[in-house]
Parts: sequence; C-alpha cells; structure tokens
Amino acid sequence: MRRFHSVADAEPIDVNSMKNRASSHLLIILILFGLEIAGYVAVHRAGLLRGYETSVIGAVRDLIIFLPLIGTVLWLSRRKRFAGNWVLFTTAILLFSVGMLVQYRLYSDPEYNARNKAAAREEKMAALRTRYILENYDPQKKQLMGLPATPAQPVDIDSLPRRPANYSLWNALTSSYTWIPIFSLLVFGIAYSLCVRDGFLLWLQRNSFIIVLLTLVPLAVAVVTSSAGKALGNMTPWEPSKVPFLLGFAGILTARYKDLAETYWGIPRARDILPLLVMAALPFVPFFALKDFGQMLIFSGAYMTLYLVAVRRWPQLMLFVGSVLIVILVLVIGALPRDIQKGVPLLPTLSRPVQAALPARIQQRFHLWLDGFDPPSPEVSWWKKDYEDALSADPQLKQLAEQSPSAQRTVNVDIWFDKLAFQPAQAVFGISSGRNTGRGLGLGYPEVIPIADSDYVYAAIAEEMGLAGGLVIILGVIIFVIAGVRTSLDARDMFTKLCAAGLTAFVGFQALVNVGGILRALPMTGITLPFVSHGGFSLITSFAMLGMLMAFSHRNTRDKVLAERAKVAPPSPIKLEAVQ
Amino acid sequence: MLLLSLLQTPAPTPQLAHVPERLPALLTIIYLVGFSLIILLLVVSLFRNRRRGVTTPAAVPNDLPDPVRKRLGSTSTNRGLRALRWLFVLLALGLVGFHVYWTQYARESNEKFQELSYKDLRNRRLSESTLRGWILDRSGRLDKAFAYYRRDANGKISRQYPMDKAMAHLFGSDRGDPGLERALFGVQSGALPEALEVVKGESIQFKGNSDVRLTIDRDLQQAAVDQLKGKHGAVVVLNPQTGEVLAMYSEPSYSLKEVEDEATWIRLEANQRDRPLVSRALGAYYIPGSTFKTVTMIAAFIAGYQDTEFTCSGSGYYAAPGANVIYDDAGPGEVHGRIGIHKAFEVSCNQYFAQMGVKLGQERLKRAAEALGIGAYDTPAEALRGRKEPEIWNASSEAAKRALAPREATIVTGKQITRYDLALIGYGQGYSGQMTPFQMALAASAIGNMEGKLMKPKIEFDRPPEMFKQVVSQQAAQRMREVMGLVTGGSSGTARGVFAPVKAAGITSGGKTGTAQKVVPVYDPKSGEPRTRRRVERDNRGNIIREYEETIMDEQNPRIDGWFLCIAPLDRPQLAMAVIVEGGGYGSRSAAPIAAALVLKAKELGYLKSSPTVAPIPQRRRRRTN
Repeated sequence: MRRFHSVADAEPIDVNSMKNRASSHLLIILILFGLEIAGYVAVHRAGLLRGYETSVIGAVRDLIIFLPLIGTVLWLSRRKRFAGNWVLFTTAILLFSVGMLVQYRLYSDPEYNARNKAAAREEKMAALRTRYILENYDPQKKQLMGLPATPAQPVDIDSLPRRPANYSLWNALTSSYTWIPIFSLLVFGIAYSLCVRDGFLLWLQRNSFIIVLLTLVPLAVAVVTSSAGKALGNMTPWEPSKVPFLLGFAGILTARYKDLAETYWGIPRARDILPLLVMAALPFVPFFALKDFGQMLIFSGAYMTLYLVAVRRWPQLMLFVGSVLIVILVLVIGALPRDIQKGVPLLPTLSRPVQAALPARIQQRFHLWLDGFDPPSPEVSWWKKDYEDALSADPQLKQLAEQSPSAQRTVNVDIWFDKLAFQPAQAVFGISSGRNTGRGLGLGYPEVIPIADSDYVYAAIAEEMGLAGGLVIILGVIIFVIAGVRTSLDARDMFTKLCAAGLTAFVGFQALVNVGGILRALPMTGITLPFVSHGGFSLITSFAMLGMLMAFSHRNTRDKVLAERAKVAPPSPIKLEAVQ
Repeated sequence: MLLLSLLQTPAPTPQLAHVPERLPALLTIIYLVGFSLIILLLVVSLFRNRRRGVTTPAAVPNDLPDPVRKRLGSTSTNRGLRALRWLFVLLALGLVGFHVYWTQYARESNEKFQELSYKDLRNRRLSESTLRGWILDRSGRLDKAFAYYRRDANGKISRQYPMDKAMAHLFGSDRGDPGLERALFGVQSGALPEALEVVKGESIQFKGNSDVRLTIDRDLQQAAVDQLKGKHGAVVVLNPQTGEVLAMYSEPSYSLKEVEDEATWIRLEANQRDRPLVSRALGAYYIPGSTFKTVTMIAAFIAGYQDTEFTCSGSGYYAAPGANVIYDDAGPGEVHGRIGIHKAFEVSCNQYFAQMGVKLGQERLKRAAEALGIGAYDTPAEALRGRKEPEIWNASSEAAKRALAPREATIVTGKQITRYDLALIGYGQGYSGQMTPFQMALAASAIGNMEGKLMKPKIEFDRPPEMFKQVVSQQAAQRMREVMGLVTGGSSGTARGVFAPVKAAGITSGGKTGTAQKVVPVYDPKSGEPRTRRRVERDNRGNIIREYEETIMDEQNPRIDGWFLCIAPLDRPQLAMAVIVEGGGYGSRSAAPIAAALVLKAKELGYLKSSPTVAPIPQRRRRRTN
C-alpha cells in the first residue's frame, strides 16, 4: 500500500482533548437521552389535546434503543480502545434521535397512516372544537347551540374522551422500526471492525473491480423487480450498494492517480483515464434503469470530489471543472420548462434534442422547482397523462373544463395542486408556518405532507421545531462533514484518504440535495436525509458509512501515535511530495 | 415507573393547565435549547485543537525558511479537500438562507404564495378545528347574528349564514381572496403563535376568535337586496357623521354555502359576463356621468369658485380647437342661459360643469380628488392600473383593511391633458371615467358631514370614528347640501318626481342623478365569455409581428348605467348613499327609485331623526337669469 506522509499538517495528538475522550461524549449522549424523553412527553401531551393517545409502548421502545447505543460506545472505547474522533459518532446520534422523535410523532398521529384519512381528521377536529366550546363560550351561546348552559371554564384534558393507541407489545417486538436500528448498529460494528484492519483494506484495494462487478448482480435483479424508482413499498433496498461502488472507484483511483498527472493539454492518457471512466460509469447504468436520479446525483458528486482531490495539476483541474460545468449547463437548460426557455432566442431549438433524451420525470421535477405554484399547460407531454386521468376520474370536472378556457385554467390549477404539486407545496406551506421556533411538537400539521417521515422529514422538523430545528440539522451535518474531512486530511495513505473523502461526500451531498430540494433551492429528488430518515435501508447505509469513517479515524490516530513515537528516528527517508 | 407517571398525571401547575398547549411548547423549546447547546459543544470541541501547534518538527528540516516549510507541509490533495470543505459549509449556510426566506419573507412578498395559500391544508384544519367568533349585526343581538354556529343532532357543528347571499361579498369564502371572515378571524396558518410565543403566554386560541359586531343594519341590507333583485348593480349606504357602513350590497351575488363545492366555485369564477364573485360596490369601475359633478362642485368650493356663473347656450360649449362640442343632455335644444352652481346642479347642466372643469385646471382638481380619496395620476397608463386602496378604511387590522379594500378610483390630471379633457372631467366623462360606487358614496359623505370632513369608512361597530381629510369648511358643506337638496326638492330638480313620496313622508333629502354610456364587449350566450377576433399585426414586408385576440365591443348598443347619490335628512344627514344600476337607463328612472325606497326604509327603522335645534344658515339669494 502506498503511504505518503503528510505529517506536517497533521494535528498534534492530545489524547485528553475533548473530541478524543469517550466519557464526555457518553455524557452528551446521556443528555440527548434526557432531551428525547422531554420530546416524547411533549408529543404525548399534544396528542391528548387532539383527542388521541400516543403509544407509551412505542415511546419506551424508541427510548430503549439508547441502551444498545450506549453499549456501542462502551464497546468502542473499552473493547476496541477507540482513539479516533468521537464527534462523528455523537453527531450521527444527534441526527438519529431527532429523526426518531419526528417519526414517533408522525406515526402516532391516527391520520398519518390511517386508511380513512378523512374520518381520522374529522375526529381530531371534533375533539378540538368541543374543547374550545366548553372553555370559551358563555352560557347563552351554549344554549343557542343546544348544549348545556355551563359557564366558560378551563377543561381538564385528561378527562376528555380520547381514542386509545392500539400498539401492543407484540407490534413493538415485530416492527421493523425496532429491528432496523438494532441491525444498523450491528452493521456499524461489523464495518468498524473490518475497516480497522490493514489486511482488509489491502484486500479491498486490490480487488475493487471484482467487488463492483459482484454488486451489479443484485442490482440487476432489483432493476427487473422494481417499478418507478421504489420497491418493497416505499423503500430503496439498493441503497447500500453505494459503498462497494465507492470502494471500487477509490481503489482504482489510488492505483492510478499518479499516472493521471501525465497529461497532454490537461487530458490524461487514454490508458489511464479509460479504466477510471469505465469504473465511474458502471453504477450509473443500473441506477438509471431504476430511475433513481437522486442517487446518481450523489454518485456524481462523490466521484467528482474524489477526482478533484486526486488531481494534481491546474490545467487538468480547470479542464475537468469546466467540462463538468458545461455538461450540467446543457442538462439543466434542456430540462428547463418551455416558457422559461422561450425568453432566450434559439434556445428551444437547441435544447430540443436534450429534452427528448431526458426522461419526463426530470422535466417534471425542474418545473416543480422553478415554477412550482403554476401548473403547466395541459398540452405539455409529461403533464398530459396525469391531467387526463384526473379528468376522466371526475366527470363533473371534465364538464367544467370544457366550458371555457378560463374554467379549464382553474381546473388545471386544482388538479395540479392535488396531484404533482401536492407534496412540495404542502411542505413549503409547513415550513412557512413553522417560523422561528416552530409550532411545537405535536402542535403543527406535518401529517398532511405525504412521506413526511422519510423523504420530507426536514419539512416536518421545520414545521414543528422551526428555523431553530432546521439549523440544528444543518449544523449537525456541517459538523459531521468537517469531522469527516478532518479524517480524510489526516489519512496517511491515498486509499483511506479517498474513501474517507468519498463517504463524507456521500453524507454531505445527500443532506444538501435533500434539504435543498425541500427548500426549493434545487429540484426535488427521491433521496432521504442521512441518519435522520429512519425509512428502510437509509439508516443501515448511513451507519455502515459511519462505521467505516470511524475506523479510518481510529487508524489515523494510531498512525500519528506511531509517528510521534518514532519521530526521533524516522523509519525511512521522508519523501516529500512535489508541490504545485 | 417515573416515565409512566409523567405521562399520566395532569399538568402540574394550575397555569399550565389553563392553556394546555403550553406544556408541549415548553418542552419543545427545552429540546431545541438542549440540542443547540450540544451542537455548540461539538463545534467547540472540533476547533479547540486548531490553534495549537502545527508542525511536528522532525518531519521538516529547521533550516528552511518559514514559507517553504509551510508549503512543504500541505500537499495539493489536502488543499483540494480544504477548499471543498469550505465550499460545502458555504452551500449549507446558503440553504439556511432559503429556509429564512420561506419563514420570514414568503408570506408577505411572494404573491403566488399568498394567492395560493388557500390550497394549504392547514388553513382548512384550522378553520375546522377552531370556532370563529360570531358576526353580529348593528344591534349586537346573538339571535340576529349574520354568522353563527349550529349544532345538529349528531353533534356536528357547522357555520350558518342566515343572510348568505346578502353578505357574501363582504364575508368572502375560503377560496380566493380573503373577505371579512378570513381577515377578522385570521385563519392563516402563519398567523398562529409559534412555540416560543405560546410559552410566553400568548394563547393558541388567537384573539381573533371573539365576536365581532358590524355596523351593517340587517333590515336595511335586506331592503337593498330586495331592491336590486333581478338587476346588476350596487348599493352603498354610509353614515357621513361617523363613516359607518350601514349597508353594502352588489348584485349578482353568490351563496357562501354553495361555493364550498369546488365545481360551483370554478363555474362562478369563469362567468365573465355576470362576474358574481366580484363586488361591484368595491371592485368594479364605472363611468360616473353626472354624479361626478358632485366632485367638481366640491373642487369649486375648495377653490372658492362657487359663485362663478357660466353661459350654457344652444350651440354648446366648445372647449378647444378641434374638440367635440359639449351639449347638455337634451341636445342642442336645451338652453339654460347664464346660471350659477345651484341651478346648474339642479338641472344637471353639462356645459356649466365642463367650463368649471376648465376653470379649475389640473392642480385644483387634483387637490380635490386627493381630499376625497380619489387617485390623481399624470398619465392614463398609471390611472388604469387599478390598485387597491386599503388605507381608506378605519379597521382593526391590516388584514381587514386589505379584505375590504376598494379599487382606487382615478382621474388623470397630468400636465399634458388638454382643455377638452378638463371639460370632460368636469361633467364626468373622459378621464374621470374610472369611479367605483363606494368612492361616489364617499364623495356624498363628505358633503353630508356637518363639519365638511370625510370620515374613514368603518365596518366594526366598536371602533372610534376616524377622519380621512378635512375636505371643505362647515359653511361650504352646508351650502353644498342645499344645492343637493334642489335635485330632489327644487322645482326643476332631476329627481323631484321620484322623491315626492320621500318628501311626503316628511323627510328632507338631497341627491344627484347620473347616467353614463359604456361600450361593453359582446358576450357569447353559451359560454358567457366575451367574443374575440384574432388580429394580426404585420410589418412593411408582410411578416407577422404579433398575433393576439381582440375582444369584440358592441359599438351599436352601449350599456346605459344609471346612478343616484343621496343624502338624508338634509339638515343633519344620517345617510349618504350611492346606487348604480347597470344597464338601467336614466339615473332618475332606475337608480333614484331604489334610493328613495331605501330612504323610506331607513326612516321606518328609525335612522332619520334629525336633531331638533339646527339653525339654518341664511341662504344667499340665487340670481335668476333668463
């Protein structure tokens, strides 16, 4: 394995500094546990206000997950003598617990996963109305409404009738929400233990190509069995395949990055760049077939990061960045909605081939991003089918639409907001109603946003915990990325450096793209927020990546300690890299 | 277990029990504060080591100069990583900016967001989960409420509107622009208090839920509805002394209950011929015709020209070279001779007021217009913009003002307008053709006020009256009331015959008739849309520059709208009224009878008790000329 010594810019080791001390992080996790209890109590009380009882068993189940978490901390620090950066772990647990609380709040709401949503909603509203009348109306009004003429007085919440939570112990024991976090912690442990060893990393580096090929096999199966970008309900079980692909790319880049430096006019030699391109292109094929464009974006981001990190010469860098920007520009312009393109002469004609090649879904997403509050005309190809389906489902609307152009316009707006624009629009309304400190846990209405617990969890957080809650998430991700980059910076060999950078890029990009899509800074993609979304395989992948990162961090500290001890007599003449 | 007991005992302190939302909100704040502190701790721990030493000495030889030592330490690889790290931090903080936009600015400045906020499901939840206050009429009696709740046998609670169609334009529905219902009871999801405010004590049952008592009189409003049945038009009745709105109705109207159904709403919105969702009193423009002479008269009194006399001859008034000749209503035959303002107003002489318009000029007309709340603009383009004028109202909140905001009536008084334009403005044509019935009622109200003030209109009973502007002096107002009295009481008043029953009932009144022709589009009888034809603009070579649809106007049959302004009783007016009937023909025949009927109804309801001791100001002798 090639090692190079970037000793000079490594931090001096202070084993007593906070980030390396397990006990202070254990304390932080215990404080998190206490805060979580406060959060769960809040959700429970707020549920009573709306006439339903949230499940105590579910709450206890969620809080008990902290036990294996603390167990993991103890295992890492005692058994494995972890000496790396604990900040990674604590930040991940911070994000994880926020996600857990929001998921509890959403799933205890009878409307969120009810089959008959209208009836559940009606019950909630009726409970609120009854309380209001009892508390505020004077006797004369009550009498006019046919109620007993009692004076207006505060009502004891616990005495009001309410719908019980039907979540039994058996449900808790067999639910996926119990087992997925535990499984994720197991995956974490396995990933950590494996990646700490020199031998394993060496094996990965040497066999990267075969690993990638092997990963393609289950993906091919997934392509055949999935539909519309999701399988097994709303899940994306192919998400963990990101990691082997990253390992493969990092492996090949490690082997060839020095050769890449020999460039002609900024372009490296074909025999060096081609295997790299093939390795980079391999994951795109199945993900394109699965129509999971979000993950493709994440891949592109991570690969670009790795290439940028490994490249050594300015012209190469400029050429690469330039060509990437041009490709993005072409794709974006091609995907822009027609009426924006009209503004520039010749643009519609030039972009037609791009538009024809782009899948309809991308055009749809771009329209939602730029012009989300305006429906496109019913003639537009990707909207036409949904529009006509909606009309044929409701003959009254169809009749109205045929009456006149302005009636058709109004019908179009209505269908738009009920179908495609529903989720993003409700999310934005929710964020706006959250304001600075949010509406309060359980006191907002995030349940109107579909899939609020995995894809749109940021919107739910922004509604109930406001700008402050959103800031907590974003700052948490920033801290994680900074710690991950620190791990990559301190790495002694190229493979570890690239892997750490790639994993950090995955987490960072995914968070950015997810939050950006919800906030309308970017087009929406179907990806989840790492660590915060508890849906399906997202958590398992995130913890696997965390395990690997922490393993790399531990190795860094171990190497530094070795170097410190050997600093009196360096093991070999230090090869200082040529600096540009 | 402690946990279970925490979940099951009622809230510990009596304060918290009263507003039960406080406990979850408080816990949320605690949660947020705790997490923020932890984040702060983590940030501190990340950066604490940075400031310590940088290099491990043995790695780099000491005899090299400092910059070289530093450069030898960092490789391009790490530089790239560092650059990317900062890029990421910047992008993430940029996202925070977007979040701030949505929470702070979108609600106010993003128009699409406001228009479409009725699609926000939260608003529907809020309106279903909280009970709005009851809307009471002038009497304040709960059993005569305009909007109240009823509970049926199953316990289902629903909002009832006994005078559904009569109050629809005022109350507004859940769709479209907010009316009084949504403005007073603030059912926007953004208006509710956030967690911090709930903890501090602001109740989640927002203050907007208390009952509201309007100034509208239930029976007078019903009379207005009956009078306008089968017609298209509007009635506005104000109290000139306080600015209270006693009745305001626009026909055709719609039913609030029926538009809860999506399809009905869409159908009504698309009906461009009748436009039932638009309040003609507040939001439709009409050519005022002779009723604008009221405004010209006000301008004359402000400028001190009230005693001017002009000649109204058979050959008409010729304002400027090349302009059309201005005749009186009966054509070249009608001759009044040399008359003063009293006679001119009584018989509605166009030539007099045209000449008065020219004499007043742009500046004085502008000053008078602004005193009355009419917008005076320099160019026609600005005047046609049709902005709303919420600032005219005396209301308890900005939302209420916006909900009731009339469209601003405008005139053009720029430097470039000609004498002919001024003449047209003087008698209510040309650039003064953009008036609303509400604005004309305000003009009448200024005259009706004992001190010559224009009071801001108000619809909430409990608000103290507020003045908009001091328009004219007390004496001038008195004289103008006498002039208006000639229209209904004088020997040649244009509404004398119609108001005979009013006089017979012992009520002194004053008014002004108005008639205006307006060319309107031809409507397709099946779809209700205006008929259009395609027009193509070509350049010299025959290439098409522009294609557009042009509405076909019905030049042969212009619509004749009838107006009537009215104040009663004359010595101390309690009513200032504006009535317009679209397509009704002459004002004296269509609008004046409606006004007369409403005055009689008001007397029946007890509004017209004038104060017993009002010494009439000695009248000037009117000079009669032949």
